[in-house]
Amino acid sequence: MEKTINLTVNGETRSIAVDVNQTLLEVLREDLGLTGTKKGCNQGECGACTVLMDGKPVSSCLVLAVKADGKTVMTIEGVAKDGSLHPIQETFNQKGAIQCGFCTPGMILTTKNLLDKNPNPSLGEIKEAISGNICRCTGYVQIIEAITSLAKEKNARGGV
Amino acid sequence: MRLPEFIYHEPENLQEATNLISEFNGRYGIIAGGTDLMVKMKQRLQNSQYLISLDRIPALKTIKEKADNIIIGSMNTLDDIVNSEIIKEKLPCLKQAAWEVGSPLLRSVATIGGNICLNTRCRFYNQSYFWRSSRETCCKAGGHVCHVTNQEDACYSTFVADTVPALIAYDASIKLVGVDKTRKLSLADFYTGDGRMPNQILKGSNEILTEIEIPIPKDDIRSVYHKFRVRESIDFPLVGVAVMMKGIEEKHCQDARVVFTGVGSAPVEAKLAREKIIGQQLTPDLILEVATMAVSELHPVKTDLMSPNYKRGIAQVLVEKALRDVGGVNNGKDD
Ligand SMILES: Cc1cc2nc3c(=O)[nH]c(=O)nc-3n(C[C@H](O)[C@H](O)[C@H](O)COP(=O)(O)OP(=O)(O)OC[C@H]3O[C@@H](n4cnc5c(N)ncnc54)[C@H](O)[C@@H]3O)c2cc1C
Ligand code: SF4
Ligand code: FES
Ligand code: FES
Repeated sequence: MEKTINLTVNGETRSIAVDVNQTLLEVLREDLGLTGTKKGCNQGECGACTVLMDGKPVSSCLVLAVKADGKTVMTIEGVAKDGSLHPIQETFNQKGAIQCGFCTPGMILTTKNLLDKNPNPSLGEIKEAISGNICRCTGYVQIIEAITSLAKEKNARGGV
Repeated sequence: MRLPEFIYHEPENLQEATNLISEFNGRYGIIAGGTDLMVKMKQRLQNSQYLISLDRIPALKTIKEKADNIIIGSMNTLDDIVNSEIIKEKLPCLKQAAWEVGSPLLRSVATIGGNICLNTRCRFYNQSYFWRSSRETCCKAGGHVCHVTNQEDACYSTFVADTVPALIAYDASIKLVGVDKTRKLSLADFYTGDGRMPNQILKGSNEILTEIEIPIPKDDIRSVYHKFRVRESIDFPLVGVAVMMKGIEEKHCQDARVVFTGVGSAPVEAKLAREKIIGQQLTPDLILEVATMAVSELHPVKTDLMSPNYKRGIAQVLVEKALRDVGGVNNGKDD
């Protein structure tokens, strides 16, 4: 069964015919070619497929594409602006918070959501925010360092 | 693994939704947040010809105070629960339990109704079709054997929802709506204790859970939820316990509830422990006695990686800690 859905992906309005049994992850990767969103476990455990839907982080492997009808979705492709990386991406790079990179798109989007809501998170709040994003490589230390330093910089800039 | 094919419906009001469930009798699944259902469908543990989404029924998304009750629509996400001012203020134990579910990525879509209706789990059942195909199909998946107990036609899969102990401790009731009937029942009575069909909806009552009603606790009620799991970050409870106590400031406890998840095919209330506590003054000795008594009422079966004895040990520690926390009793140690 097919259904046409209308959604905004990374600022662009799209109207797409999807099969009702496609997940949002499948539509993003296979129909829209946005392969920055990764498929890890495909069952809600790892967070590699994280996207922001109406501003909230979700595991897109558990969301039916039809449920995204009328919603706004941001994937990792929408984070950089005009060809230059977002400060979160830059900082992850600089701090060695990226190794194989498979968890990174999800980690960055979760971080973006955290810092947008709470520019000054405590260590506990950072750990809680990324608790659904599993990383096999870094041991999280550099990731947490990167987020902490972003929060400091953001505060120094007056929250922007 | 991709999802199997199905026909998708998005009714816009309850009447439409109940008409659909009666029309599709036995061939439909209800999807709320989908965080449990999507996995089960990918694993081919549920193959419904029709999926009925409750997303577009606004009436199921409200949280309101009415007379002496708080009424929570079943389609509120766990995030909505955690962020609701009324719940923060009046039902802190529910807020805490909702926050303990999975991770933020799940709580943003997972609903409280889905948590209440959550199917029971077992290490031989919640697996991919491929994994399961190496053994005979177990009872819960439609066969006749149980790989945990080796019994025939009996299933001991475990109830693991986090919010339910808190809701039962608060004396919650639920509203179930069918095509031509609406009924209200106490949440504890919703559960059957049969691992194959652990609640009335899963047993095939053709109803939708629409709302949860909770009497607003009086000022002298204190409660807490403690959860133990393997991975702190994201995991189902191995054991969870909600403890509620009334009138503890008066020195003598007027009422108490101790309700577990993770230790049976339904939520388990420790009733002997409740009787033991009422009218008593909470002392370290009494806490030990009550916790031991509560644990004697538990009969966990090894449906996950922990032995029943280990679970009882954990339950003992959690109850002691919860009683100390609500009763403000110090055990002289840091824990
Ligand atoms: C990785 C992972 C970790 C998890 N960790 C936890 C955890 O720590 N604690 C925990 O409790 N749960 C956990 N869960 C399970 C699940 O995410 C939650 O229980 C969640 O609250 C289910 O809600 P949902 O809206 O997503 O339900 P759905 O998946 O939509 O539905 C679940 C079941 O309830 C039925 N249902 C839902 N709403 C209604 C309704 N209104 N009327 C009738 N039937 C209904 C559905 O038909 C289905 O059978 C976890 C899941 C995953 C994938
Ligand atoms: S307890 Fe037995 S019957 Fe039930 S799910 Fe586990 S193996 Fe299957
Ligand atoms: S791929 Fe979605 S959570 Fe792992
Ligand atoms: S960098 Fe490899 S999984 Fe995180």
